[in-house]
Amino acid sequence: MKEILKIENLRKTFNLSIKQRKLEGTTEKRKIAVDGLSLSAYEGEIYGLLGPNGAGKTTTLRVISTLIKADEGDVFVDGFSVKENPDEVRKIIGFLTSELKMEGFFTPNYLFDFFSELHKVPENIKKTRKELLFKKFGIDKFAEVKVADLSTGMKQKVSLAIALVNDPKIIVFDEPTSGLDVITAKVVTDFLVSLKQEGRTIIISTHIFSLVEKVCDRVGIIIDGKMKASDTLKNIMGEKSLEDAFFDIYEASEGKKL
Amino acid sequence: MKNILAIFKKELKRFFSDRRMLFMLIMPGIIIFFVYSLIGNFIPQTDPDFTYIVYVENDPVEFSSFHTNELYKTEIHSISESDRETVLAAIKEGEVHLFISYENDIINKIASYDTSSALPAPQIEIYYNSSSMESSNIYAYYSGILNAYESTISNKFDINAGLAQYDLATQEDMTARVLTSMLPYMMMIFLFSGCMAVVTESIAGEKERGTIASLLITPIKRSELAIGKILALSVTSLVSAGSSFIGLLASLPQLLKGMNFTLDIYTPGAYFALLAVLIVTVLIFTVLLSMVSAISKSVKEATSYGVPLMLIVVVLGLSTLMSTGSAKSFWLYLIPLYNSIQCLVGIFSLTFNPIHFVVTIISNLAFVFGGVFVLAKMFNNEKIMFSR
Repeated sequence: MKEILKIENLRKTFNLSIKQRKLEGTTEKRKIAVDGLSLSAYEGEIYGLLGPNGAGKTTTLRVISTLIKADEGDVFVDGFSVKENPDEVRKIIGFLTSELKMEGFFTPNYLFDFFSELHKVPENIKKTRKELLFKKFGIDKFAEVKVADLSTGMKQKVSLAIALVNDPKIIVFDEPTSGLDVITAKVVTDFLVSLKQEGRTIIISTHIFSLVEKVCDRVGIIIDGKMKASDTLKNIMGEKSLEDAFFDIYEASEGKKL
Repeated sequence: MKNILAIFKKELKRFFSDRRMLFMLIMPGIIIFFVYSLIGNFIPQTDPDFTYIVYVENDPVEFSSFHTNELYKTEIHSISESDRETVLAAIKEGEVHLFISYENDIINKIASYDTSSALPAPQIEIYYNSSSMESSNIYAYYSGILNAYESTISNKFDINAGLAQYDLATQEDMTARVLTSMLPYMMMIFLFSGCMAVVTESIAGEKERGTIASLLITPIKRSELAIGKILALSVTSLVSAGSSFIGLLASLPQLLKGMNFTLDIYTPGAYFALLAVLIVTVLIFTVLLSMVSAISKSVKEATSYGVPLMLIVVVLGLSTLMSTGSAKSFWLYLIPLYNSIQCLVGIFSLTFNPIHFVVTIISNLAFVFGGVFVLAKMFNNEKIMFSR
């Protein structure tokens, strides 16, 4: 299988403000968010990143999507370095996170056209793609309603459609089903599987073990910015449930029982 | 270029299809029209060391103490040094500030005048130019002191009671004077206020709402994003400032009721220069406020950071209230914003200098290009764009 995503010894630190130091209960002025993390993801697979809050999952995804830069190491997306060729990476990646909001004033229809234009999607392809995605997620029913007036589930569907305007090779989803009702969550989950079957590579970050068990081919467990385990779902789980396997790794990493 | 256009169109759509936003853009002009139609006064000031040139005809020795005062330094000339018509022409030109003509032997005529008689009182005529701040000042002084004296002697003489035209200001002088005092300052304030509202909303607002990150992960260049935003925000700000400007111009006849006033003194070239200066000024405001907004986490914070800029604009603007012409030094026209306001003074006071104008445009555009470059760098800086 072709390697679509390669992360090599990624390290990312952040300055902590006085307020953040108080919140984190530390006197350190810098925080290591990601510490020498490496992983590979291949064409046509879903890779799940599991880890507690503050483990470095979102930071890793933000580096992959070129929103922030790594201090050390590099990320290659279909051979393009996020450090050297961020514009090329942006052309072939789709990123969906709660951090990326849509302007409430605009309609889904306008936003899809706007982002298609920024990605230089030809008019005829844009039209076909929009029809397909809007129909798939039922957006066509509220395509002319302002985003501000949509429900959380509707907004998530629109965000998903917009993340796909450029027909990306790799799709990075941070908590893809977070805040969604069960029906919308199932639509999104099924869609992830269908994207994988089309040969896309999908990276998801989540807390939901059942989602990982259902859709992921391989799993990486991040704790304190370090990759503690990265393998196929089957090998990570062994004879246990994913949840049990995760906590075994977590407790071994922390050196104490929960 | 296509991406710049896409950003440009999106920003314009954002501001011009939102009724609330459109209302906010137009509202300042409407408010200004009503407020300035009702309240209209401005305070002229001049250099305290200024020497006023005053010509006097039949100057009575008893009134010589009037020429000595702490407020106004005067240089008194007798009309015998020149002829009357030359002095009046010099007042129109601003070379002489006042001409006082006493009736011959006025002291004796005042002493013998019977106020109960039907005969006309002895006359004092004071010629001045109301479009000149200096002439107006010295006229106010002499007419005030003579009126005060007149009241102590039972109104035994009259000041400017004849049919002559004592105010020698031309319509052109009046218009230029009034507009030079008011408009450069107000234009700067209007432009800045218009920019403040839209720029903070578009950049700090997008940061606050998390929508700018969606743009930053698309393949558009940061410079395209910066240029697209600045152009759209400048157009929007110009509409806002234009509304204020039109409101002000429409209210001027009402505001300056009773004064000679016409806008016909300005040529199409002056209007073109005015538009060009306004455009580069609004570009500078947009660039400066974009930078302020980029480092802010919210619209509220950006508005707070914009206050010092506002104060600078106010101080620069206030400097024009005391001026009757634009700055002469070439180098001053290299300073952004200051050059804009001096150009506006030059245009409105009919002392427009094409070299100063060209230097202003080039200097300000260079500043804008530099600002766009810095802003593009800021958009690429995660510490600025994603600070918490």
